[in-house]
Amino acid sequence: MKKSAILASVALLPLGTLQANDYTIDPTHTYVSFAINHLGFSTMRGKFDQQSGSLKYDPASKTAEVHIEIDAASIDTGFEKRDQHLRSPDFLNAVENPTITFKSTDATWNGDQVATVTGNLTILGVSKPVTLKVNAVNCGEHPFNKKQVCGFDAEGSIKRSDFGVNYGIPNIGEIMDLQIEVEAVRG
Amino acid sequence: MEQLLARPEMQSAVIPFLVGLAVAASLRKITAGAWIWALFAAFLCSALLINGATLTPLTGTRKIILLALGACLLAGLAAPLLSAVYLQRQAATGVVILAMLWIFWAVIARRDPTSVAIFTGGALALILFTAWGLDRCREHESRLHAAGLGLMLGTGLCATLGSSALLGQLALALAAGCGGLFLAWVLLPGRSGGERVHGRPLAILPYLMPAATIGLAAVTFARLPWYALVPLAAIPLATSLLPFRSESRFLAALVGSLPGLIIAGATAFWVWHAGSSGASGY
Repeated sequence: MKKSAILASVALLPLGTLQANDYTIDPTHTYVSFAINHLGFSTMRGKFDQQSGSLKYDPASKTAEVHIEIDAASIDTGFEKRDQHLRSPDFLNAVENPTITFKSTDATWNGDQVATVTGNLTILGVSKPVTLKVNAVNCGEHPFNKKQVCGFDAEGSIKRSDFGVNYGIPNIGEIMDLQIEVEAVRG
Repeated sequence: MEQLLARPEMQSAVIPFLVGLAVAASLRKITAGAWIWALFAAFLCSALLINGATLTPLTGTRKIILLALGACLLAGLAAPLLSAVYLQRQAATGVVILAMLWIFWAVIARRDPTSVAIFTGGALALILFTAWGLDRCREHESRLHAAGLGLMLGTGLCATLGSSALLGQLALALAAGCGGLFLAWVLLPGRSGGERVHGRPLAILPYLMPAATIGLAAVTFARLPWYALVPLAAIPLATSLLPFRSESRFLAALVGSLPGLIIAGATAFWVWHAGSSGASGY
């Protein structure tokens, strides 16, 4: 009985190890935001309110993979009429292309800290490689629910015309700066 | 120059109007289908300015651009050749229905059967009603252009108010092109035998295709309320019923355009008042 229990524990160990660094993105503490020049006057900012995804992170094995899915219709710039316009065929065409995705393909490390994450960003069905600079990564036990949490801040920029979002160029900026803050929970 | 060409009023009004006028004036003595090529050229210029030369990704809007241009080509090349009227009539509506499926398939595939039935049934009813009205206008070229002018103007204004300036600009560009070729029709004599072109059912296609595709796209992809399409679809019928005939081309154009312009303006006001306005000045 004791021998079979030990064998069962050993058999289960590899499975447990495989799942140890898998995190689920916490949508309530994840912010995907952007900034873009408006008519040369100022910088307009906005964010997406609904996203989901997963994260694999293990500094020991230099594993950093992220997959985020963003609801294009959840765009929020603080003014509903403008948000309606951004969801329309003029920009994100959210009815025809409801999801924006980012799936990482590579990561670079600075010691035991991930420095950049490169992946395919898909907007309007067009996928292009984008590299995000990771500014901070922090992992630890959540003080209230005691779950393991990892969070990171990343930034990057894209040319929206690369994805076919051409309307309003050059009056509305072509370069879009991205700022992404993610928290993900293990288990 | 780039700044000037980036202005929406240049892209959707001035340039297509001038191109439509120039092409119609140049070709009127050469071909009876001059108006089709004028519309084609006007829209092509606007589409290049508004959308650029790229077709990727092939979004619904880019499909609409291709279909509008293709409709002009089909009408210009096939209408004089295809003598069977019943074939042309079926081809005209059939092509638009297939176009709808091409544009909206991705959206239809994601909806439940009841929504699909309502959408396709409503779209079909609107297409057939609009086609019937335009078909009645074929009797005289001025009626066809008057109906087209009102239809595209109304569709453009409503699409803009429905939060898609892009769709609105495309329709307004066609309205401007129509205005240009209409002016050429008023001012200049054309090649005789024009009824062999505007008198054929396929002649409705350059107006039917963009009106149907842009209108339904504004409802499906933007926020135009569906009921705005009903009075717009009635513009061709209203134009055809106008009991006014005149030998004067100027009066025929002016009075013939009134029903369409009134309905277009009233519908746009209705949409604006209903609170669906958007896509402007922020």
